[in-house]
Amino acid sequence: MKILLIEDDREAASYLIQALDEAGHITHHASDGETGYAMASGMDYEVLIVDRMLPRRDGLSIIESLRAEGDKTPVLILSALGEVDDRVTGLRAGGDDYLTKPYAFTELLARIEVLARRSSPAEAATNYSVGGLSLDRLSRKVERDGEAILLQPREFRLLEYLMKHAGKVVTRTMLLENVWDYHFDPQTNVIDVHMSRLRSKIDKGHDTPLLHTVRGAGYMIRE
Amino acid sequence: MSRFAQVWRTSTVRLTATFIAIFVVFAILLMAFIGWQSSVQIQRQQADDIDSEVRLFQRIEATQGIRALAFALNRLSGQPGPGVYFLGDASGQYLLGNMTDVPPDVLIDPGVYSFDYDRPDPLGEDVGNLPDRRKRSGVAVVRSVELANGMRLVVGRDVVERRGYSAIILQSFLVGVVGIILFSVVAGGVTARRVLKRIDTIRDTSTKIMSGNLSERVPITKRNDEFDGLARNLNAMLDRIEQLLQGLKEVTDNVAHDLKTPLTRLRNQAEGALRDTASPQTRERALETVIEESDKLIQTFNALLMIARVEAGAPSGALTEIEISPIVADVAELYTPVAEDEGIEVSTDIAEGVLLRANRELIGQAMVNLLENAMKYAKPEDGSTGRISIGLEKIDANVVITVADNGPGIPEADRIRVLERFVRLEKSRSEQGSGLGLALVNAVARLHGGRFRIEDNSPGVRAVLELPQ
Repeated sequence: MKILLIEDDREAASYLIQALDEAGHITHHASDGETGYAMASGMDYEVLIVDRMLPRRDGLSIIESLRAEGDKTPVLILSALGEVDDRVTGLRAGGDDYLTKPYAFTELLARIEVLARRSSPAEAATNYSVGGLSLDRLSRKVERDGEAILLQPREFRLLEYLMKHAGKVVTRTMLLENVWDYHFDPQTNVIDVHMSRLRSKIDKGHDTPLLHTVRGAGYMIRE
Repeated sequence: MSRFAQVWRTSTVRLTATFIAIFVVFAILLMAFIGWQSSVQIQRQQADDIDSEVRLFQRIEATQGIRALAFALNRLSGQPGPGVYFLGDASGQYLLGNMTDVPPDVLIDPGVYSFDYDRPDPLGEDVGNLPDRRKRSGVAVVRSVELANGMRLVVGRDVVERRGYSAIILQSFLVGVVGIILFSVVAGGVTARRVLKRIDTIRDTSTKIMSGNLSERVPITKRNDEFDGLARNLNAMLDRIEQLLQGLKEVTDNVAHDLKTPLTRLRNQAEGALRDTASPQTRERALETVIEESDKLIQTFNALLMIARVEAGAPSGALTEIEISPIVADVAELYTPVAEDEGIEVSTDIAEGVLLRANRELIGQAMVNLLENAMKYAKPEDGSTGRISIGLEKIDANVVITVADNGPGIPEADRIRVLERFVRLEKSRSEQGSGLGLALVNAVARLHGGRFRIEDNSPGVRAVLELPQ
């Protein structure tokens, strides 16, 4: 994946570039707002990672200009400002996701992979299937190998989110944000308990598990 | 001089002076108007009197002859009073009357005149040859007429009396104005002095406070006037500032303790990992611990920032009208499986459709903190099943959220203290947690204009969040 990172902290940037490289992504770097904007509008990237506070031009104004020009490249905003209203301003400016510093690299990686996927056209499918597991978003039915599985509404939304991003790592924070719509870190293992209940419903009695725990990162559904 | 300038600069003194000036100007205008009106009135009265006397004399002369006229004139001339009379022959030669030297033009042309004359003493005899010292100078207003037989009759009034009246008005007027000025200056001065004294007291106190003595307060008198009102407000404000500073000091102390401890652990782990003798496995474990510790630090830091922002005012701008029932239900649903896994029973009693002006994220976060807290302590000492009950109800104009457990509870003496930042009771020191959870709930309650308190659930803790609708 071709990524543009606009970040003025050189140390943070070089760490990110190296880590993204190890994860198999090509990353270009701009260390100020003007250069970043020029690079973003001149070249084709799959994801932009934009720091909010930048020299010469701030992150939100770059995103607003790009959106005004019709550029729909997914943008992940990085910011030290983490309050709900800061997040709302960021997303309103045209950002697709918002990550508060300091963050874990696994969190950032999971988010940009989901973002890049989002820009691909298979977005609005009404039906997801992974292995023998299928989920119908309209009739809200879930089956595995032809056998119906009864899920609570929240479990259904959890599974829906996981299947929408099948094959990608989904972090606990992402689940909390997208399934429960809260933006805080629960201090205990709340998400894990919900996941283990979901797992017992979809994987129990089957030889191949579909729901996997990715250590140190989150969860993934795959064949 | 500088003292005077200083006093003059005060608004009280200037205001008083302005009022004195306005008052004096109005008094002068009023008195001048009254004086002018009365003198006009007196003049008109005198003119009427003179005219009717002239007519009377003409009638006497016409009906009873010149003798009767002379007799009447003589009688009137001899009486004390302002009346002046003159009778002369056709050539203007003095015949009788109490006025001897009438200017010739008055006698030639009949009409109304005013002139200076020498007034004889009304008690004096032999009017024609009075010695000088028995005369006084006067001003007369007269009407002169020519009688049918060609004789000249002049009837008039001495206006010195009238002038005397004006002088009396002027005199009382001057006395009045001086009195008013003196009185106003004294009254204004006293008022200004009193006001300035009160203000000086407040300024002295504030100077002492600025120089660092924050326990100083503005004295309050028994008068209970507007200055006392101001002083009370200032004192209340100072109390609040002192409280905040005290809080800040405690927080700084606690931050130092609660952040330095994990930072020290972090540093120790990193040092351990760098040690030559450390095996790769030890290093890996140390690094994992480093990440865990820093995550905990970040969480503590975020919680602190959040409390600070909530306490400073609404973090997300204005609160909006939202339905609060789903928030409480969502958080309850989020935590129920976790509680069940730990063998704790959760029961809910959540009223539907409860509206509240609130911040969704903050209410959610407060609920999470309350539940996490309850889960930590819902372990009865007698070993029976832990229970948590979550409630949302409307009581009058308040929305009341309760989270109750049946754990060991919090002693009454500590129920307020645990709402402060970093306060953890001895029993819970061993437990995980930053000691910020309840402090944040408290701050959220205050932001929504409500109250948060810990009650006895006998046994256990009943946390009550009361928010006005």
